[in-house]
Amino acid sequence: MSHALRLVEAFAAGKRRPIRILGASGQLGYGIPAEPLRRGIECGPDMIGCDMGSTDIGPNYLGAGKMAVSREGAKRDLSRVLLAARGADIPLVIGSAGSAGAAPHLGQTLEIVREIAREEGLSFRLASIDADIPRDRVRRSLAEGGITPMEGMTPLDAADIDGAAHIVAQMGMEAFRRAFETGAEVIVAGRACDTAIFATLPVMLGFDPGLAIHMAKIVECASLCCVPGGRDSILATLDDDGFELESMEHVRRATPSSVAAHALYEQADPNMIHEPAGSVDLGGVRYAALDDRRTRVSGARFRPTDRPRVKLEGASLVGFRSVLVAAAADRRFIAARDEIVEGLDRLVEQLVCDDGAPRDYRLFFRFYGIDGVTPAPEGAPLPREVGVIGECIAASPARAAEVIRTAKQYLLHYGFAGRLSTAGNLAFPFTPPELDAGAAYRFSIYHLMDAEDQADLFPVTVEKL
Amino acid sequence: MKLEDMVIALRSKNAGPCQLTLDLIFADAERMRAVAAALPRLRAEIARAFGIAESEVRDFVFEPALAIKFTIPRPRISGEVGDRDVYGAQQHGVLLGVEI
Repeated sequence: MSHALRLVEAFAAGKRRPIRILGASGQLGYGIPAEPLRRGIECGPDMIGCDMGSTDIGPNYLGAGKMAVSREGAKRDLSRVLLAARGADIPLVIGSAGSAGAAPHLGQTLEIVREIAREEGLSFRLASIDADIPRDRVRRSLAEGGITPMEGMTPLDAADIDGAAHIVAQMGMEAFRRAFETGAEVIVAGRACDTAIFATLPVMLGFDPGLAIHMAKIVECASLCCVPGGRDSILATLDDDGFELESMEHVRRATPSSVAAHALYEQADPNMIHEPAGSVDLGGVRYAALDDRRTRVSGARFRPTDRPRVKLEGASLVGFRSVLVAAAADRRFIAARDEIVEGLDRLVEQLVCDDGAPRDYRLFFRFYGIDGVTPAPEGAPLPREVGVIGECIAASPARAAEVIRTAKQYLLHYGFAGRLSTAGNLAFPFTPPELDAGAAYRFSIYHLMDAEDQADLFPVTVEKL
Repeated sequence: MKLEDMVIALRSKNAGPCQLTLDLIFADAERMRAVAAALPRLRAEIARAFGIAESEVRDFVFEPALAIKFTIPRPRISGEVGDRDVYGAQQHGVLLGVEI
């Protein structure tokens, strides 16, 4: 029997006790410091959890079906947590497998897990949870008026559904609960709410969902809630009235203000956490120092929803990207850049498009040092040097490359008014300065979908390794 | 006093792909309150810098962390063609020099 099911049995028999959750990594695949993980295991946790994904990395990984981390990095980190969890015979729960949590990401992650099990001679029950949502299901929901755009998105249309390379939904605690109930010792989930990874087991054991989800929201980022923040493992001990946090790296201190500040991180509203099952109100949360390295947190309130919804994510191909990496250090060129780019744009179109043929690409330039990152304030002085990044998006890699290479050559030799640098306008840091950046995607779906029954959305598959 | 001399952290980041959130964290409640008293001006400053309406700037005074937060819509969804900051981690500069 799995440790999780033994706990469920013991708790049901009245043997309640605080539960210890180890947050081993907020970004599995970028390295898990070994010594803090080992110390965490010595504290006797009941579960290890790792978040592996996010939308913060942009739409490309979801669209392309690729992991943001290297396979080597993912394998090294997965080995560490798998060996630790199996050594202690406690559950290992991984959410948003392979960065974006769609079928290819989940598949790649499971393949690595099986490979490690084979190489290390590990034997365990592995549950995987799919997060891909069939297009038909989304179409049906759209027709029934069950799709709501997240703030900043336009209403969903049929083309978005057809065009998305992958559509996933963030699973909540319901899906993880079904996986635990299979007796799984290792759970690898596709796209998931980061909170559900850590909150499900405590909630199954009857702990307050508000406290459990709040705890989960903090430990999913490992020791980021500490001063100084870091990626070392963190231990949370949850009881019926609150939870205590302690980093497993001695220099990292979980203080009331550092833990409270974590509620701000990448959150639109510091007082609310949303889960498919409901919301957690952090308005009345109290943070108290236990000593200079540990903080106790209490007061989060769970409000179940009467309209269960899941958040859909989808990414669509917009074309193929080629870029030019260059720089300039001629103040005349820098001052004339807008006029130069405008002229170059017309020139390139004449060169790469046949007479009368419409423009079939997008070409634009960023001038780093001027407004590459943020708009330039009025009257800002011009810099001595600028970085120049040209970008072309076209329907094929070959077309994007053709346009950017043409643009590079004619920008290098562009004859602007007042030009003295008649041998060339650009410095190239390396050759070739044109790089093929592959397929370009955009987030086309970021919408809530009504989902009364989530069991059919997130099927659990069990295998014995 | 400049805002950058009053805070212990001033940062920006995506809050999901469609929103950007700016956090100001203070060492003490006094400074936080001084800045909180200037919220309308800061909201106007943010609206101007990002080319949005003031009504689109949400603000939060979050006492447990001695922090003030602003959340705004991103000018472009993260990673869209033409985006200049996919993670949104370098959009806070506009606030550094604001006089309080």
